[in-house]
Amino acid sequence: ENWTMTSTWPSSLELIEIDRKFVELANAMIPDEDLTIEFFEGGALVPAGEVFGAVESGTIQAGADWPGYWAGRDAAFSPLATTASLFNAVDYVNWIKGWGGAELYSEIYGQFGMVYLPYGVTNNESGFRTVDKPIRTTDDLQGMRLRLSGLEQGRLLEKLGGSQVSMAGGEIYQSLERGVIDGAEFSTPNVDLSGGFDQVTQYWSTPGWHQSSSVFGVMINQAAWDALSPETQEMLRIAADATMLWSLANTEKRATEAYQAFQDAGIEITRLDDATLENIQNMANETIVEVACENPNSAKVYASMLTYLQDYGKWRDASAPFNLGRTPAGPDLAAIEECAQ
Amino acid sequence: MLNEIVNGGISVLNNLLGWMAIPGIGGEAIALIMAGLLVLGLFMGHPLAFVLGGTAVLGAFIAGKPMVLGITINRIFGDVLDNFTLIAIPLFVLMARFLSDSGVTDKMFEALRHLMARVTGGLGLAVVFISILLAATTGIIGASITVMGVMALKPMLQYGYDKRLTTGLIGASGCLGILIPPSIMLILMASYAPGLSVGELFAGAMLPGVLLGLMYGLYVFAVALIRPDLAPKVAEEEQISRGALWRMLAVEAVPPLVLILGILGSMLFGIATATEASAIGAALALLIVIFRGRFTLANFYSAFLETGRTSAMILFIVVGATAFTGVFNITGGLSATQSLIRGLAEDPNTLLVVMLATVFVLGMFLDWTGIVLLCFPIFLPIVSEMGIEPLWFVVLMAVVLQTSFLSPPFGYALFYMRAIAPPDITTGDIIRGVLPFIVMVLIMCGLIVYFPGLITWLPDQLYKG
Amino acid sequence: MIRIIDGLSEAVGRVVSLLSGVFAAIIIYDVFMRYVMRAPTPWAFDLTKMIFGFYFIMLGGYALRHQAHVKVDLLTSVMAPRTRRWTEILGYLIFFLPFSFVFMLYSWQFGLRSLAQGEVTYGAVQLPVYPLKLAMGVAACLLFLQGIAEMLKLIVGHEDRRHADEVA
Ligand code: NA
Ligand code: NA
Repeated sequence: ENWTMTSTWPSSLELIEIDRKFVELANAMIPDEDLTIEFFEGGALVPAGEVFGAVESGTIQAGADWPGYWAGRDAAFSPLATTASLFNAVDYVNWIKGWGGAELYSEIYGQFGMVYLPYGVTNNESGFRTVDKPIRTTDDLQGMRLRLSGLEQGRLLEKLGGSQVSMAGGEIYQSLERGVIDGAEFSTPNVDLSGGFDQVTQYWSTPGWHQSSSVFGVMINQAAWDALSPETQEMLRIAADATMLWSLANTEKRATEAYQAFQDAGIEITRLDDATLENIQNMANETIVEVACENPNSAKVYASMLTYLQDYGKWRDASAPFNLGRTPAGPDLAAIEECAQ
Repeated sequence: MLNEIVNGGISVLNNLLGWMAIPGIGGEAIALIMAGLLVLGLFMGHPLAFVLGGTAVLGAFIAGKPMVLGITINRIFGDVLDNFTLIAIPLFVLMARFLSDSGVTDKMFEALRHLMARVTGGLGLAVVFISILLAATTGIIGASITVMGVMALKPMLQYGYDKRLTTGLIGASGCLGILIPPSIMLILMASYAPGLSVGELFAGAMLPGVLLGLMYGLYVFAVALIRPDLAPKVAEEEQISRGALWRMLAVEAVPPLVLILGILGSMLFGIATATEASAIGAALALLIVIFRGRFTLANFYSAFLETGRTSAMILFIVVGATAFTGVFNITGGLSATQSLIRGLAEDPNTLLVVMLATVFVLGMFLDWTGIVLLCFPIFLPIVSEMGIEPLWFVVLMAVVLQTSFLSPPFGYALFYMRAIAPPDITTGDIIRGVLPFIVMVLIMCGLIVYFPGLITWLPDQLYKG
Repeated sequence: MIRIIDGLSEAVGRVVSLLSGVFAAIIIYDVFMRYVMRAPTPWAFDLTKMIFGFYFIMLGGYALRHQAHVKVDLLTSVMAPRTRRWTEILGYLIFFLPFSFVFMLYSWQFGLRSLAQGEVTYGAVQLPVYPLKLAMGVAACLLFLQGIAEMLKLIVGHEDRRHADEVA
């Protein structure tokens, strides 16, 4: 089999390295006659927003993505991609591999005739970068026009007094430079650095409460998947798992280097205090319940995620301080379960 | 029901045209066939938009991959329909229509002509100056050339300027829009060039762009000096008194010029995006027309209709080009071209010339988005291997692209000029008109090669200081 | 037949052309609300884009009726009228028909799929996307029909075939 695969990322954004790693591993492991994947950088075949449609219709066999871009087709894609102040990268790995998350990816993408292999996790995003007004507390968000992606994220920002502007990654730099927006979030520090944001912003407000961690992966057209032998399918899964572990360590390493680069560039980096973050957590919880109860599929995904948090929380908290991450005071599981189908 | 008809239609089409597939055809052959079809269609006088689109469809069938036709639709929607930047095109055209249909711009150029009455080639210089301002506001070739052509073509011809000089000047000055920041092309280039930011590219292209504008101005000045019949001065008896001139300037020239400068300023000082500026520009143009007492309902309505046709003309070329590029990339044309260039030369200088020549030639056939997508993945790794500064190379490439928009037979600027020029100007006139400007761009490229500082100096001051 | 198609394109063109005024107005309203009232309009960005997409794609057939699409007349302008006419007909057969037919079929498939999914934009403001995707199919039909009309005009040597230069 010969597959054509593309990505939602252009070659200039470091996120594409995760996709390249997967393709490299898969092509190295799988004999050429069984499967060869030809990879095209984002934009070469279809624009980022159309990768979903191209794989769904079978025009191309595979497409690398961040699931949140498809939330307009089903709101459940949003929690499959990221959460507002909930999961960290290890939570996603735990949930996907150990607490049944993988099945939910298959189910939601399956509705559109696709198989999904999650193969990348990145931990916390940078947070907001602003041009001339720092965000030290949530009061500073009042009346700000900020570039931000996501449904829950947009609603949450509205609650905090800011205003969401959606724009593609490639437009952010110029909009910041011309003051069309007051600030923007984009991705992890290393990806932000590759976008040149150190040149057009002065302030950086951490942590990235809007997007506590993110998942990336590949959509595969069902018919193309079915045409593979079980062995080849298994090898693709192994390549995905190997890429996921690599993506976690690699992004954290690169983000650390980039954090230093932003400091060296003289950017003022501030951290929201714990009381503010607690307030944001409460509003995030409200937003999640709100959005979940409008979309049964989304409720189902959130219910599964919250069940994991509660379940794992017992052992996670017992093993503190040697545990993995924190157990957030998340939204009310019962309220969301009621809204799930 | 509709679903079945559509899917049935698609499978019938695929079966019907299955005979076109050439089994096992390679990327090189596909690239050649598609280039051949493009040339054929253009010489047949078929509309460019449909030649591009038709070639995409035929290429997919010949490659035996009709299923990739779906990506043409994905691209048309995602790249053209769902694109905030392109909204500026109809609105800038609408602004130009409001101003020109009501005679406001004719009067403006008349006033400028009198202002520059004692300057050799005065009106031409005014056109270069305004073109550069406008170029800086739109950054979209089709839009700058059309807007400038709609406003300046008639007055220049009317005052006895040679038709070749006129079309060449407007075409070449309009192309400067993609070089002088803000430029949509430079933004796209930055997004495909790892490590280069939009700001650096803007700063890098600024000097070459402005210098080219000055060269164009000098050229007009020289022509007017040597051949006054091609760029006539205002006759002695036609000249008006100083008082009358100032009155005329204040009434006729200042409002539209303030409008154009205001648009530019609002973008440069971060008040508005190009799209927002274009909307405000159209509204203010309408206000100027109303206050000058030149508003008529008939003109108002026809401005919308003309704008609709012109915008569809420009945007359907983008539609065709995006379909073409998608099929070209996926059927292997992209990788074939890549390996061809890699295999051509070993020596860095030769390779540099080869790369720039490739850009020049591709520019005759492809839209600049296609060229950027095609060339960057091949060229940039080679460039960094050779130790050449990527910023310098990318801006040089942007300057070379200027020639390709102008170079016959398939320069995009020529097509846009053709579409707005009156019938008594032949395509041959337009082509002969741009030739001197191509030479000037080539001189500019030479200067950049010998004085790399022309590109790197400003970004160094701004970003490395 | 030719007259019906011409009339249809003309009518669509005359109405749709006015939409540029509509999206200009929305943009100005948003700019005003943002800078003067400090209250940006969340739906303006997506809605403007949608109206713009609808606007130009629907005008493809109208522009074709007025022969406004850019072409290179380098060779055809020196041809004998008869040769020129047949060359132009051939151009429609080789390029226009395959493109517009594929554009029509695949656009419908594209639009119908979006409709079936009830696709909306993915930010806090959720506007439906499928009307625009379906409009692309309608626009493609209009373009296809107008192309047929233009071919018929060439074949029967229709007088009313306007030249690009007259309308520009
Ligand atoms: Na983000
Ligand atoms: Na870049």
